Amino acid sequence: MVTVAVDYFRDLETPRLARLAPNLVAAAFPLMKLMPARYILDRAESNGELKAGSHIVETTSGTFGMAVALLAAARDYRLTLVTASTLIDAKYKARLERIGATVIALDDPRGDGNQPGRLERLQEILGKEPDGFWTQQYDSPGNWLAYARLAELFIRTMGKVDCLVGCVGTGGSLCGTASFLRTVFPHLTVFAVDTHCSILFGQPVGKRMLRGLGNSVLPKNVRHELVDEIHWVGAYPAYLSVHRLLREHGIFMGPTSGAAALVARWVATTLPDAQVAVIMPDEGHRHAETVYNDDWLATLPGWPCKEPSEPRMLTTIAPAAETQWTRFLWLRRSLDDVLKSQAASAVPSAIGAVENL
Amino acid sequence: MAGGDLMSRETLRSSIGTGAAIAHHGELIQGVFKDDGGRLHRGLVTLPIAGLRSEATFARTDGDAVIVHPDHKIKASAAARLTLDFLNVTGGGVLTLQSSIPVGHGYGSSTADVVASIRAVAAALKVQLRPSSIGRLAVAAERASDAIAFDEHAVLFAQREGTVIENFGGSLPPLLLVGFKANGGVPVDTLQLPPARYDSAEIQEFGVLRALVARAVYRQDPNLLGRAASASALISQRHLPKQGFDEIAEIARRAGACGVQVAHSGSLSGLIFDLFASNLKRRAALAAQQIRRAGFQDVEVHLVNAEGWTW
Repeated sequence: MVTVAVDYFRDLETPRLARLAPNLVAAAFPLMKLMPARYILDRAESNGELKAGSHIVETTSGTFGMAVALLAAARDYRLTLVTASTLIDAKYKARLERIGATVIALDDPRGDGNQPGRLERLQEILGKEPDGFWTQQYDSPGNWLAYARLAELFIRTMGKVDCLVGCVGTGGSLCGTASFLRTVFPHLTVFAVDTHCSILFGQPVGKRMLRGLGNSVLPKNVRHELVDEIHWVGAYPAYLSVHRLLREHGIFMGPTSGAAALVARWVATTLPDAQVAVIMPDEGHRHAETVYNDDWLATLPGWPCKEPSEPRMLTTIAPAAETQWTRFLWLRRSLDDVLKSQAASAVPSAIGAVENL
Repeated sequence: MAGGDLMSRETLRSSIGTGAAIAHHGELIQGVFKDDGGRLHRGLVTLPIAGLRSEATFARTDGDAVIVHPDHKIKASAAARLTLDFLNVTGGGVLTLQSSIPVGHGYGSSTADVVASIRAVAAALKVQLRPSSIGRLAVAAERASDAIAFDEHAVLFAQREGTVIENFGGSLPPLLLVGFKANGGVPVDTLQLPPARYDSAEIQEFGVLRALVARAVYRQDPNLLGRAASASALISQRHLPKQGFDEIAEIARRAGACGVQVAHSGSLSGLIFDLFASNLKRRAALAAQQIRRAGFQDVEVHLVNAEGWTW
C-alpha cells in the first residue's frame, strides 16, 4: 500500500517483488523476520505485556534474533538471546552484541542445538525478571498473524494467487501467508520447502547443511493441514539455485531463498496457467564467505554438481543426500495422519523386500 | 473547518437548492482497518445502488429555524443546520425530502437523506462541497454514516469518524446484484447495535480484504470484489448472523456469482454478478428464483455502474 507515514522498520520488513517468470512473482525480503518480530512486539505493547524497559528473551541465533535486536535497540528494551555454541558464529554474535543484545551461547555436546538446555536457561531468566517477555516465535500466533501483510502485498500486485511456495522453519511465514490467502482463494495450492533430515514433515532428525531451513523441533506454527505438497531440497541444489538467481535476475539472496526459488520455478513451469508466488526470506550477505565463495565451495565433497531439473517423487518419506531434491504429496493432512499411513505402507514394502531376496 | 467569508451570499437569500443522494445495499466489506500510522479504525466500503435515491430541496428563509418535511427527518434537518454553520451562513430554511429508499433494512435511507440535504443547502448557497467535507458533515449529523457522499467512487470510509482511510482511486466495476432480505426482513436499528468486537485474526484478514478491493478497483475485476465481499460476509456471520447464509452461498456458487454480499448491520444480502458475464440474465434470473424458493423476501435486481445497461 502506498503510504505517506515515515516508519523505517515497516519499510525494512517489506519485501521487494521480482518477476522470475511470466507467472511467478518472488517476495525478496531483506530481513523477513522483522515482520513477525514487529507484530509480536506491537501486540505485546498494546496489551500491556511489554512495558517500558522490559527485558525481552528468545532462544534463537538466527535472523529472528537480529530482527528483535534492531527493534529492541530502537525501542529501548533489554534483550537476551539464548543460543548454542554450535549454532552461532563469532561474527554474527559480535553483530548482535554491537546492537546491544546479550547473547548466551550454551555448550552443545550432542551437536543438536541443545534446545532443552536453551529453554531451561530462558525460563531461569524469565523467573528472575518480573518484566520479562518471551517473544516465542515458534508457538506465538503473532508469528503467523503478521504475514497478513505479505498476503496483502501479493494480492495488490498479482490479484488472484493460485500457488504459494515458501520455506518452513517456524512455519510462520508460509502457514500465515497461506491461511490468509486461502480465506479468499480456497483453491490455493501450497508448496512447502524443507531440507533433508529436518523433522518438520516426518523425516528422522540428522545433521542439516542448509541453515535457516527446516528444524529439529516441531513449532506449533507449523500447520501441516495447510500444505498440499512438501519438497526437501539439499544444500547443493539450493546453492546452485541462488547463484542462478544472482546471475539471471541480479537478486542477491541466501541459500534458503535459493531452495524456495528452485521449487517455485519448477511449479511455474509445470503449471503455466497458474499464478505462482514465492517467499524468499533472506539476503546473501551473511553467506558471502561460503555460498558465494568459490574457494569454500571447492572444499565441498562432490562440488560442483549438476542442478537437478526436477524433484524425485517419494512415496515413502526418507532423507536423501545434500545433492538431492525430493517431493511428496502431503495433501493437507496432519503429521499424525501422514506418519500413520507411512507406517502402514512400510510393512508391505518391507515384506516385499524380504521376498525379493 | 469554516467555509470562508460568504458576505456576498447575503444577497442570494432567496435562492433554492436541490441535492440528491443514492442508496446503497449495505457494504462490500466492513471491519477494522489500520491507518498509515498503524492505528485501528472501524471502516467500510459501501455498495452503492443508484436505482433508489433521496432528493432534497432547500429554500432559504430569514428565520433562524430549519423546518423539515416530513417532520420526522430530524437527522436531515440537523445536517442542513450543520452545513449552514460550516459555510458560516446565518438564517434557516425549509428542507423538503422525497425518497424512494425503504427505511430500516440497510439501504442507507438516513444517510441518503442527510447527504441530499447537505448538497441541497450547499446548492442553495451556490457552493460545491468536496465529498470529504460532505462525509464529515454526514457523520456529525448522524454519528455513523456510510460512504454515499462519494457516490460510486470506491473508498474505505471510517463510518464513525467521517474520514477516508484509503481512496481506491476509481469506481467499482460494473455489477449486477440480486438483492434480497434475510432474517424475515425484520428492520434493524443500526445505532442500537453494539459495535462488533473483532479478534486479531479477523483484524489481520480485513487488511487482506482491503487489498482485494484495491486490486478489484484497479483492474475493474468483479470476481476479486466478490471474493472480498464473501469473506467479509463470512466474518459478519460470526457477529450478526444471517439465517440461511450457507444456503445462499451454495446458490451463489451454483449460479457462478462473483460472491455474496451482506449489510453488516442490516437484513440485506445480495449475490454479486459480473455485468458482462456470459448468460448473465439467465443465470441471475435462475438465482433469483432459487433465492425466492428458499424463502427469502423482496428479491430485487440492482445495477452498479451499469452506464445505461438495462435488466
